[in-house]
Amino acid sequence: MSYKHPPLVRRVLTSLVPVVCPPEAVALGLTEAIVDHVELTMGALPATFRQGLALGLATYDNSARLWPPALGRRASALPLELADRWFLRWEEGFTPIERELAKAVGQLLKLGCYEQPAMQARLGYTPSAWIDEVKQRRLKVYSDDVRKAEAAITAPDPLRPPVKKVERA
Amino acid sequence: MVALPKPAVGQDRIPDGVWTRSTIHGDTVLDADVVIVGSGAGGATLAAELAECGLDVIMVEEGRYYTTRDFTADASAAVRALYRDGGATMAIGNPPVLFQEGRTVGGSTVVNGGMSWRTPERILERWRREAGVDGIDAADMEPYFERVERRINVRYQDPESVGVDNLLLKQGADAKGWKVIPNLRNQVHCPGSNNCAFGCPTGAKQSALVTYVPRALHFGARLLSDVAVDKILMHGKRAVGVQGRVVGDDGERTHRVVVRAKLVVSACGAIQTPALLARSGIRSPSGRLGKNLSLHPNVKLVAVFDQPVRGWEGVHQAFQVREFEGEGLLFAAVNIPPGILAMTTHGRGAELGRFMDDYDKMVVSGMLCEDTATGSVKTIGGRAQAFYQLADFDADRLIRGVALLSEMLFAAGAKRIVTPFAGAPELTGPDDTRSLYQRKIPKSSMEVVTVHMMGTAGMGEDRTRAVTDSYGLVHDADRLMVCDASLFPTPIGVNPMETIMALATRAAAHVLDNLERFR
Repeated sequence: MSYKHPPLVRRVLTSLVPVVCPPEAVALGLTEAIVDHVELTMGALPATFRQGLALGLATYDNSARLWPPALGRRASALPLELADRWFLRWEEGFTPIERELAKAVGQLLKLGCYEQPAMQARLGYTPSAWIDEVKQRRLKVYSDDVRKAEAAITAPDPLRPPVKKVERA
Repeated sequence: MVALPKPAVGQDRIPDGVWTRSTIHGDTVLDADVVIVGSGAGGATLAAELAECGLDVIMVEEGRYYTTRDFTADASAAVRALYRDGGATMAIGNPPVLFQEGRTVGGSTVVNGGMSWRTPERILERWRREAGVDGIDAADMEPYFERVERRINVRYQDPESVGVDNLLLKQGADAKGWKVIPNLRNQVHCPGSNNCAFGCPTGAKQSALVTYVPRALHFGARLLSDVAVDKILMHGKRAVGVQGRVVGDDGERTHRVVVRAKLVVSACGAIQTPALLARSGIRSPSGRLGKNLSLHPNVKLVAVFDQPVRGWEGVHQAFQVREFEGEGLLFAAVNIPPGILAMTTHGRGAELGRFMDDYDKMVVSGMLCEDTATGSVKTIGGRAQAFYQLADFDADRLIRGVALLSEMLFAAGAKRIVTPFAGAPELTGPDDTRSLYQRKIPKSSMEVVTVHMMGTAGMGEDRTRAVTDSYGLVHDADRLMVCDASLFPTPIGVNPMETIMALATRAAAHVLDNLERFR
């Protein structure tokens, strides 16, 4: 997919990484990588969803200016403590639109965060090594059965009920 | 029709007989005896059965052809590649229900957990009695189940493939004295790589991709992948083919593809089939097309233990807890990669970090609920959109299920449990489970997901109540068949893949027995 974040979307998402993701993700310097991952994910989503999300993020960013503690600043320009409070207002918003936007953005960022190899390594999550190990073990221990099963895929089925063979047109 | 060369069967290459976006170079018109939209549990099974008997079959699949070699532990890349809309498909309602549809050659069998259960006899009896389906008794279905089970190698797991998470689940069930059984799965010595939902990287899971699809190709069927079918071509009430477009790398629609056939089959699942039929102008006199959507609402909880669990090491869902099957509830352990688990977790910031730090000590368990509500699929701007309202009765059962599952995991030694209900406190011991019954848990706080969509083109002999006849042939249309979970008149309470495959095998036998109708 060739989707690229518009600058405003990238800016708002970047500002939300420290709000949504654990502090260690920022400390590990993963902010840009997380936002890039969200870009990949959004590329697979329906265009209408992407457009809605972009519109929602623009509203989220701009409407902060009307919030007295923000002193006229956009959400993406707020210091972390205020940015956190502003995001919380949307999470607990009066309208389902606010709540669903906060939820969707949060989900995209959390997915992007814990798909980072550095974050997975922190958890001790090493699935590739496990897959390689058991894949080799299977072929070593059960190679005859595996070959037999593969051969059976194209073998005529003795249980096939008798049918009338037809000539192709 | 010229016979095609027989493809080599293998898990690491795309066989001959497959056309993709790279090999369809212009507008294309093809002829066949049978065209099947979809290559999953229904479509691939039907294609193999008919091709083996000499019919010229073309499968048309919207998704790409991936091979076993393409499947890795990169979960989010797999979701983007193998699932419709990157897995972000949702039934609108309270709560919204996130659902997943496989969109790849092999369909959802490529990304399911590999559970292979026959339709419960009580369900078959209900279909016969309530929906008026002919030839659906357990005895009628026996040869079809047997045939499918041989083809996809349904068997129990080798013991060494079972991981700690599943052993703890069983330990909890045993401690409570509850019925727990090993899962029957379609696999050949599955070593427990626990990557089922992202494509099996070992080739052990016997999805349609590595069984029925290559079998169909071996017997001369053809497969067009990367082709999205826009509509079924009708001549009066007679289906005469399908029309679609090649889907490019960026999802753009390019060359036009038409397949003309004597029998047209929709096998693209309970969400896409009613949409395809509706886009094609098919109207059911029953008024039930796109109605009657059931989806086995599913919630998960996370139990944290003191000991290392490493849930990604060992087979997905080795056991099912069947103690509450009579209430329509099944429990199983289902490891979820960290990105997806974090995504569906309520906390954020430092709280999220603390929660995830225990990832290697977690047992994630899920619950399947045989639902009583029904939703619908509507076609909006040509796209399928599902709507579903969780029934109060089912919401209560989800709460009861979470409480029971929590009790069981505490009996296995869990130290704390995070429920799927936003705002509900963590449970820290078996006594806490009672609080789930006492507090008001709004439906809107429930994180409900599903992968089992069923029932939107239900079968039965009465054309005023059913969309198709007992074998999937659409009432009041000619030469048009449905062959997927849309046919189920009711939810089935177990994983649906084997039922779909058995119905497809039965449908193939019906076609072959009545070939004169389709010449």
